[in-house]
This record gives sequence, C-alpha cells and structure tokens, in this order.
Amino acid sequence: MMKKSWLMALSLGLWGTVLSAQKFMTRDARISFLSEAPLEKIEAINKSGSAVLDLESGRMEWKVLIKNFIFEKKLMQEHFNENYMESDKYPNATFKGEVVNAREINWSKEGTYDVRARGKMTIHGVERDIEVPGKITVSAGKLNVTADFKVACADYNIAIPTVVRDNIAKEIAVHVEAALTTLNR
Amino acid sequence: MKKRLLLLALLLAAMGAAVGLYFYRQKVPSMATQKADLTLSAAELFAAFETDEAAANARYLGKILMVKGQVREANTLADGTVKVVLNAGRDFGVLCEFDPNTQHPRTTFQPGENITVKGECAGLNFDVLLARCVVVEE
Repeated sequence: MMKKSWLMALSLGLWGTVLSAQKFMTRDARISFLSEAPLEKIEAINKSGSAVLDLESGRMEWKVLIKNFIFEKKLMQEHFNENYMESDKYPNATFKGEVVNAREINWSKEGTYDVRARGKMTIHGVERDIEVPGKITVSAGKLNVTADFKVACADYNIAIPTVVRDNIAKEIAVHVEAALTTLNR
Repeated sequence: MKKRLLLLALLLAAMGAAVGLYFYRQKVPSMATQKADLTLSAAELFAAFETDEAAANARYLGKILMVKGQVREANTLADGTVKVVLNAGRDFGVLCEFDPNTQHPRTTFQPGENITVKGECAGLNFDVLLARCVVVEE
C-alpha cells in the first residue's frame, strides 16, 4: 500500500518531465466488433482488454480474452466461440508491436495525436503483420487511445460456412477504445 | 391426397421455422441459473495459471467456477459494468466481471470482504478473468 502511494506521488509530481519514460497500462480496454451482412447484424463487446504502452520505446501490446466477448444472443455467443474462434483452443487475441511515430510526438503536451501502430496481430492462432492508424489523446495524466480497423475472417483462417455466408460479413469492423494510466488500473 | 401431403409438409416446415426462431432469439442466460463445475479459492486458481498457463487452461478454461476470495478492489465502470478483483496474494488476482444479464442485489463491495462468485473462466490476461459473474450467497 505504501509503495503505491509513493510511486503515485512521484509520478504525479514528475509527470511533465518524465512522461516519456513511463509505462501506461489498462485492464479495462473496450474492444468491440460489428459484422454487417445482408441477413444479419452481429455485434459484441469485450470490456476487459489489456493494453501496455511504453512511450519511450513506443512498444505496445494488447490482449483480449475471447470468452469474455458479450453477445446479446446465446446462439451467436456459442457459434462465435465454438465454430468461428475455437476459443477453447485459442483463448485470446493479441497485438504486439509499436507506435511507429512515438518519438516524434511531444507526449508532455496535452492534445490529440494521430498515430500508426505496426506489429503482429494474432487471432485464432494465426499471426499476421498489420499496420493500423489510431489516435492518442493526452489529457490529465491519461492516454486515451482509439482505433478503428477491419479484420478479414479469411486472413485468420476463420471459416464461414456457406449456409451462413449472408449472415456474417467477410470483413469485421473492429473498434478499440481505452484509457491508459500509469497506475495499475 | 397430394394437397394433404403438401399441407402437412408446409405445416412441418412452419413448425421447424418456429422452433428455429425460438432458439435463435434466446438471450444468453443469467449466470445465476448456471451450475458450477468446480469450487476453489482465488489464490488456488491464480496459482494454477501462474505455474502452468496451458495446464490451467486445459483444466479451467470455459468451465463455470465457484471462486471464494477476499475483495482487493471493486469498481463500477461508466456504463454500469461491475468489476471486482479478488486477492490472490500476487500482483494480480482474479478479476470478476459481473454478468450483464443479471440484476445484481449488490454492486458495491468493501476491500477485505470475503465473497464467493460464480463465473466462466475466460483465461489469463494479467489477472485470471471470470466472465459473467454473479455473487453467490452462502
């Protein structure tokens, strides 16, 4: 307990100067996706994604547990886990990479910055190199991260049976939003 | 005769469609109605994942677990989602994300309180995550 408040005081006091040398983290990242197909609209959200960002190196890692995606309908949740994602075999999806332009940004200055994340995305056990744009807003000691990108099912060996091909989109729209802080939460 | 058969076929098809629609429309059931597969302490569960994640996944992933532990922290997100972390004696613990399909009698908890939760083990992500949790009264 004492250690945490000491660290907190230190990081708050030196925030302006050592911001770039700090690691930011969250375990409340919200990752949602939307599949819009002719016959059906499927959406789900995960509210316990983790993200770690080291501003100095630009290293960034995200992880989300597949079984924690929240669906409205029971069948959809079952099909998602059992047939498409095979979450017993592949319990998580990860991104490991870096914020490409981290060093060009003055992180001590509050504001919204356009960033590019490049690295390895692993979904359904398949790893791919990706690069996606995003925004990071520096405000009151927090880093608010947002990103929108598409994931093609075929790229990650996610098989959509012909019988439901009009129910599930070939490309899924993913939305990420997270508030990273220097403390444990 | 042909008309009768056609009518019967249509009736069966309609019944099939109705049954299909019924199942399709079903919402995810409340965790309160699910039976737990195993009971263990938060410390035990976390230790299993810390020691050997693959073995712990094989044993616990996707199972409904009844987990007893001491509240380390509890908070409610802006959208009303309740998250409680149970102490495992390590840096991270057992994170219980409450079931969105249940009316929870309690959503605030005191650090140090001993509680029992039931949820589906979703795996390890710094904490061991239990999804769709409900508090179990003992």
